[in-house]
Amino acid sequence: MISADTKPEESPYALWQQTVSARYKDRSFVARNRSGVEVDPVYGGLDRHGNEAEMPGQYPYTRGIYPIHYQFQPWMDLQIIGFGLPSQTRERMDLLLEQGGSKGYFDREAYNFIFDMPTSMGYDPDHPGVRGSIGDCGISVCKARDYEILLDGKDLAKTTVSMVLNAGSPAMLGLYLAAAKRRGFAFDKLGGNLTNYIWDFFGHSGGTNFSPRGSYRLIADIAAYCAEHVPLWNPLTISEHNICEAGATNVQAVAYSIAAIIAVNEECVKLGIDPDTVVPRFGFHVRYGENFFEEVAKTRALRRVYAKVNRERFGCKKSGSLQARIHAQTAGSLLTAQQPLNNLVRNAYGALAAVLSGANGMTINAYDEALGLPTEEAVTLSLRTSQIIAEETGAVHVSDPFGGSYYVEALTDEIERRVFEIIADIDDRGGLIACIESGWIKQQVSAAAYQWRQEIESGARTMVGVNKYTTDEPEQFAVFQPDPEAARLAIADVERHRRERDATRCAAALEDLRRAAVEVNEGRAIGSVMANLVAAAEADATLGEMQAILHEVFGRNK
Amino acid sequence: MPDTAPQPRVLLTKSFIDSHDRAIATIALALRDAAMEVVLIDYEQPEDVVTVALQEDVDIIGLSFMSGGQVETTQKIVAELQRREVPDLPVVVGGVIRPFDVAPLEAVGVREIFRGGAPLTDVVATFDRLARAYRSHV
Repeated sequence: MISADTKPEESPYALWQQTVSARYKDRSFVARNRSGVEVDPVYGGLDRHGNEAEMPGQYPYTRGIYPIHYQFQPWMDLQIIGFGLPSQTRERMDLLLEQGGSKGYFDREAYNFIFDMPTSMGYDPDHPGVRGSIGDCGISVCKARDYEILLDGKDLAKTTVSMVLNAGSPAMLGLYLAAAKRRGFAFDKLGGNLTNYIWDFFGHSGGTNFSPRGSYRLIADIAAYCAEHVPLWNPLTISEHNICEAGATNVQAVAYSIAAIIAVNEECVKLGIDPDTVVPRFGFHVRYGENFFEEVAKTRALRRVYAKVNRERFGCKKSGSLQARIHAQTAGSLLTAQQPLNNLVRNAYGALAAVLSGANGMTINAYDEALGLPTEEAVTLSLRTSQIIAEETGAVHVSDPFGGSYYVEALTDEIERRVFEIIADIDDRGGLIACIESGWIKQQVSAAAYQWRQEIESGARTMVGVNKYTTDEPEQFAVFQPDPEAARLAIADVERHRRERDATRCAAALEDLRRAAVEVNEGRAIGSVMANLVAAAEADATLGEMQAILHEVFGRNK
Repeated sequence: MPDTAPQPRVLLTKSFIDSHDRAIATIALALRDAAMEVVLIDYEQPEDVVTVALQEDVDIIGLSFMSGGQVETTQKIVAELQRREVPDLPVVVGGVIRPFDVAPLEAVGVREIFRGGAPLTDVVATFDRLARAYRSHV
């Protein structure tokens, strides 16, 4: 907000111009539309209170975290990839690359791996309770050697690896770093992302996750280790997406996501870690679903609330600590088994909302995911959707194109107001961990999910092809059938691995991990759990073996 | 005359490694709204489902699958029902059920399959009908 005595050269627009010319020199970002009209990369004006409006790249980053966004750096397409054995997923990776996908920032290749449920939760394929789920809906990975197959021949210094998983996250990062080390890559060159959804307060993944308190301690350990040793690695993604998908409203999901950041930061402060050393590597995974303008407004509100909380509540000073980086994903819960081609249209609108919000990365779901694992055709169409938005629609020419819209600005302010109300409520209830332990958050989310479902039942909310415009004709679609042999091969492989490794060395490394875990759990030697996970993985310990120790020390969710 | 028959007792369950619980939690609320008694658990081993079903004296079992295990797990649960001598306890399945899952699920006697978008009223009515029919015959 500018006061009456602000000098013109200090106005948001003038400051923005100075930043752009300092950063990009004489490069022009002016685009020309079909009719030859020149469009500026950003438009400014007055805000709702009559003051000169904030510009993109300026605190509190409502309008985006960069002064120039897609005009300089397009979003990263990260199609979710993974099924069966590492060798099978590798074939799909090569297909995506051939199709023009897998493009990361700065000419890196980028892969967004999803793991089968056993792996995601930290279990090896030979764990007795996981038969039937091995290699289904994701890759089966349980040892460092699996990454050597998955990423054979790839220059890891030029590859961004994103790992989407739950409780298995800490040990999974250990496997990847150990594989990279064996191949001789320095940790300070490795870029990637670990979702680290190891705790879950929205119902999700019951007893396989860590206890809420143990989770926050582990998150701090991993973040501190990465800040020191793997500085380009993003060790935590807060999944607004998953909270929404579990049924929460947009306002609830943003509020709970910010509450999670508050809980992580409080844990760091308690352990003597300066938030400014770890927060710049945190990010968000945000869902783009059924309400186009609400999605845009919630993104703008999320960036603003995040900046304010980190600066005002935690005293963060680095600009990176105040800038919410957002990976967008379209809404899986809106994909219908009925008339599945309709999902292509839903996904395209969700993706467009993400682009008009200024998201930094993008996953567009496949239209056939309500039927089973995506087919190759469906995966390619998701990529084409992103490419059409990026290269045909012109949506990328102007940053924050809804900035100044009466509607979107009012909605952004309203979402911010409601988010801060929920955060105050959580504070009053003793903080997020207390709200998870009491079951309050889960009740809130389930109630919202049930209300949504009842709106569908009553017809108050329309889902085309489900409760309106339905057809009775049976439809035949190709459904991807996973390889039933994958489970047998994965089990045989881990059994052979256990036989052939140096058992003494492996047992000693696991014992070191246990000692480190106990210390960290008592608040000492923060970062040593992650260091010992890498060492154990190097000594050929498996995901499930490392997980068992972490579960024992940090406790399981109830 | 008022209906004095006790309300159906239902076991809803999914694998401990399947994190997608929105559907099963929603079904649980809908069945409770219809005055049924609902037990909602995660299982680690398929056989555990039958143990809980017997302990809780339920009239029907609902299995949710959102990420694999549809056929293999259901087969194990049905085999365990037979081994524990409750072969008629009805089993219904919901979630991501692919075309190639249907025949083997029907072959082991699954009574109903619900996919995403199935109306809650139909789901509730099916649980009610199967549970009452089971109780009247045991």
